[in-house]
Amino acid sequence: MKMAEKLQQLGERVPKRQQSLPKTLQDGSRIAVIGAGPAGSMFSYFVINMAEAMGLDVAVEMFEPRHFCHRGPAGCNHCGGIVSESLVQRLATEGIMLPDDVVQRGIESYTLHMDVGDVEIATPLMEKRIAAVYRGNGPRNSEPLDTCSFDRYLLELAQQKGATVVHRLVTDVHREDDHMCVHCADQYSQNYDLVVLATGVNSRLMETLESQTQEFQRPGRTKTFICEFLLGRKVIRETFGPSMHVFLLDIPRLEFAALIPKGDYVTLCLLGDDINDELMERFFNSPEVRNCFPGGTIPAQACHCYPRINIKAARPAYGDRLVFIGDSGATRLFKDGIGAAYRTAKAAAKTVVFHGVSAENFKAHYAPLCRAINNDNQMGKVVFGFGSLVQKSRFARRGILRMTANEQNQSDRPKRMSGVLWDLFSGSAPYTDVFLRTLHPAYLGSLFWNLLAGNLPAGMIRNGHGRSEERNHVEH
Amino acid sequence: MSSTKSSAASPVKQAFQIYAQQAEKLPPCQAQCANSGDIRGWLGIIAQHEKVGLTLDEAYDKAWEKLTELNPLPATIGRICPHPCEDRCARRDKDGAVSVNALERFLGDWAISRSLPLPLAKMSSGQEAESIGVIGSGPASLSFAYQMARRGYPVTMYEKHHLPGGMLRHAIPDYRLPREILDAEIERLLNLRISLVRNVEIGHDIVFDELRDRHSLLFLGLGAQAASELGIPGEKGPGVISGIAYLRQRKQRIALQTGKTVAVVGGGNTAIDAARSARREGAQVLLLYRRSEEQMPAVAQEVEDAKTEGVRFRFLVSPTRIVRDGDAIRHIELQKMQLGEADEQGRRRPIPVIGQTQKLPVDMVIVAVSQAPDWHGIEPMHDGYRWLRTEDDGKLEDNIWAGGDDRGPGIASKAIAQGRLAAEAAHAELRGEPHPGELPARKAVRAGAVKSDYYRDQQRGCRERRPEGEWLSQPELEIDRTISSEQARQEAARCMSCGLCFDCQQCFMYCNAGGFARIAEPGPGNYFTLELDVCEGCSKCIEVCPCGYLEARDSSV
Amino acid sequence: MANLGKQYQNGEVIVRQGDAGKCMFVIQNGEVEAVAERNGREFRLRKMGPNDFFGEMALFEHETRTATVRALCPTHVLTIDKKNFLGGIHEDPSLAFRIVQTMSHRIRDLTDRLAKYEEDSQQN
Repeated sequence: MKMAEKLQQLGERVPKRQQSLPKTLQDGSRIAVIGAGPAGSMFSYFVINMAEAMGLDVAVEMFEPRHFCHRGPAGCNHCGGIVSESLVQRLATEGIMLPDDVVQRGIESYTLHMDVGDVEIATPLMEKRIAAVYRGNGPRNSEPLDTCSFDRYLLELAQQKGATVVHRLVTDVHREDDHMCVHCADQYSQNYDLVVLATGVNSRLMETLESQTQEFQRPGRTKTFICEFLLGRKVIRETFGPSMHVFLLDIPRLEFAALIPKGDYVTLCLLGDDINDELMERFFNSPEVRNCFPGGTIPAQACHCYPRINIKAARPAYGDRLVFIGDSGATRLFKDGIGAAYRTAKAAAKTVVFHGVSAENFKAHYAPLCRAINNDNQMGKVVFGFGSLVQKSRFARRGILRMTANEQNQSDRPKRMSGVLWDLFSGSAPYTDVFLRTLHPAYLGSLFWNLLAGNLPAGMIRNGHGRSEERNHVEH
Repeated sequence: MSSTKSSAASPVKQAFQIYAQQAEKLPPCQAQCANSGDIRGWLGIIAQHEKVGLTLDEAYDKAWEKLTELNPLPATIGRICPHPCEDRCARRDKDGAVSVNALERFLGDWAISRSLPLPLAKMSSGQEAESIGVIGSGPASLSFAYQMARRGYPVTMYEKHHLPGGMLRHAIPDYRLPREILDAEIERLLNLRISLVRNVEIGHDIVFDELRDRHSLLFLGLGAQAASELGIPGEKGPGVISGIAYLRQRKQRIALQTGKTVAVVGGGNTAIDAARSARREGAQVLLLYRRSEEQMPAVAQEVEDAKTEGVRFRFLVSPTRIVRDGDAIRHIELQKMQLGEADEQGRRRPIPVIGQTQKLPVDMVIVAVSQAPDWHGIEPMHDGYRWLRTEDDGKLEDNIWAGGDDRGPGIASKAIAQGRLAAEAAHAELRGEPHPGELPARKAVRAGAVKSDYYRDQQRGCRERRPEGEWLSQPELEIDRTISSEQARQEAARCMSCGLCFDCQQCFMYCNAGGFARIAEPGPGNYFTLELDVCEGCSKCIEVCPCGYLEARDSSV
Repeated sequence: MANLGKQYQNGEVIVRQGDAGKCMFVIQNGEVEAVAERNGREFRLRKMGPNDFFGEMALFEHETRTATVRALCPTHVLTIDKKNFLGGIHEDPSLAFRIVQTMSHRIRDLTDRLAKYEEDSQQN
């Protein structure tokens, strides 16, 4: 297998042993999971679960030097902290329930802010099925509340299943004969039958591995911005409600901006192509953003970071006894990265338990999922491309606002625009689905009408447009 | 990204940027060490030897070299020091302080077994002309002589007794410090162009002023050889001896007489050593101390060991009279005491309980209450006070410096520190260089900056001891054993390296901006560079840094 | 306040026997009872608590709800869409494992109860 040969170059030694060990998990096989973010923890959880079901006794060691009990960036895995509608449901189906101290707020609507007005898009069921969580143990210097990090919760689930946590920083992974060797910063090194890389793209390990060989390529990354504002529970409930506030503003390179209410804090998340100071300046100075905050003033941030996110897939995402999951392997563009972590983790776990740990096994049973995710991301780029067009066109924004507002005001109407926006913002449907829905004749017809109506002088058309140019929040 | 930061950052953004910088801090062990030893430095060489490409043996050699820059007697100090460095070790509350003292002793023995020569000073400009005279050969004098000799000065050391070492030689019993160890360390030190003149008593064999003429610079390491008396009736006469005299006689095996029932008066280390020594001579020993046990200045472990050996303790009693039957002691009369108001040092003063006295039948009394310098022959330097009054660096007057117990009582490490500091200052003065004390002080590690939960649990390595049953049956054999090379490696690896990088690599791994770069040829404590322009001010590196090396730049926040 | 799902008060009906259903439910917290109604009389089938699910049959067949489920105290219940569920199973059939396992338990339970019922009726 060509991939396998390439990945052998990761290590300095070439296999010498004549009789090689079986490339399937055996009783007593040792698995090293590098990184205990959601991908690593969920892999550990599922692999033990499935191995148990198969009557297989495997040892799973999760390498994670950090404790997710520190507040601030040290104990955090940096993202907006949204568990999507689809992931909440799938986890619930798996029997994984997110407890109250993990869910900082249940989200039941999106509020879209544009220069032409705001509109709230409610979930069809009027039910909180999106979870706003902290990836770490809350923002820097936050008061000790009864909160639990999402990542820590998943890690504990994996531990309860029987995975052990090794508090060591992995600095190198390489192939040695018939096993993988994991080397740590404190000189500890150990051999494993399988290494699962779940370090994400904000760790240097991928870079280290990439520099060792020409053949492995880590995911392409871009810079994003996340920060937390302390406003207090009461203010947040009154100002933001159980709604995620998204912005469609005419700011170049800004693909997505959202304010996510959580407990005492609201999290700002800016995604796009290399978020920089100039862009942030424009964002913070726009009235649509300012008006979201009490008194129109943006408070000082309590905690911030510039995490990197994937914009280009890793290649290849597997080798003999080696598989990359979560952001390290394949993830969704901009949205539902945790969902992708779950899907890749589970697919990898199924592959290793039911098929084997060779590059061929991963190619046959794991790579298709990565490919599907990456292909859908191509569609995602098209969809976000449309989004950028809308951002630039006030004409289009008026039409979208009108169409959405009308759908929201009349419960019996088909929610074509709302559905598209919901899926787009919440990340709960594949981008391909979103795209296909926009090609529906009824959607296009309705959009055309609303574009026309939304841009005619006021008063000529009666219905709709009720929320434009003013703030209007539905309280629940 | 970097260019806009300084120029046009908005107030919204500026308000919360916390830019990082690397800054070495003073670790608590060093802050506590009487000799300001760079403990983290020499532990780091061992703990990080693989990272900097040293074999373990090479690391031990290098660690010993680093250690001996400040302390030429690690095998000795590693045995007798009460190691205040361990009291504030950041590891203490986690799983026990690092056994610094055991490691120091290990390195000392390591060097002796491998005959490593003491490192000559890198700052030495070669051969200096000024002749240096040192009076006494205790730890302060040895330290001063060492620091001057390694800077290229010819040193002559004058010792009253035949063997050098001062109190180390005469007052510390073999079961705590075998004489072979002390011999080896002093011999190695004397090899550095130090000539030792033995059996010379100032004021008897030579006058002080002659030494002044003979040498460009003199160092007084007189020690505190004059034992205080109790000043009670019956004290003068046979059967009463001072603690240091008893210990010296016992070590030299001359004219040693030990009674059957011995009272030792005092609560310091000398009292304990005397009591344990008397036990080794077969006596029943009762130690009398006028305050309570908690207030004893002796090292707690020594007190425990004395109890193990059968020394009995009587607290809150003060001798008032020694009653004799002819020359022989019949009994000692004791006044019961109680603790009263605190004195100026905060220690509660013992006051007599009127009417409560008792008689204790003994046939020998060892008085180990306190000591002072013996001014005989040094009268020109004595201004009537109990101790020499010098400047902080030990300067007494032009070309005369002093250190050790003649400036007040203290542990051996303090004497070594005083000798070293005096040498550094004297050298600077002789060479016309700026005073070394004017170097900027380093910031201490901020409380809470060392995140002990990052470090893996590993229990403090206990030093092994000989079985208790052998302590008295083989009275001269050392009780504590030196740890093995493997134990030393493991114990050194427990050092958390408070305030200095030890290559945990978290900043390098987790910096979103990739601001940290590996140094091509790393050394202990020196692994990464931080490109300040790239820093995005999120403070993650500061928060993940387990040792408190990374900190917020002053300009930020 | 941070709960997911929809809140039901004590005694509130979550699904009603005979209604059409397109989703199943997972209990987040609280307690519910499933009751079957027959000839105007109610029979409690079972009580359920956190992490238990109900209404799963609607995901697999187009029949109406077989029982009424009521909250026994303030209860949060998360809805699982048929679309999401079947989409998930399409990508990852093992997603159904836990449901199959539970349904298997329930069949076992029903078999036991049926046998007991037969035994009782024969004795009478």
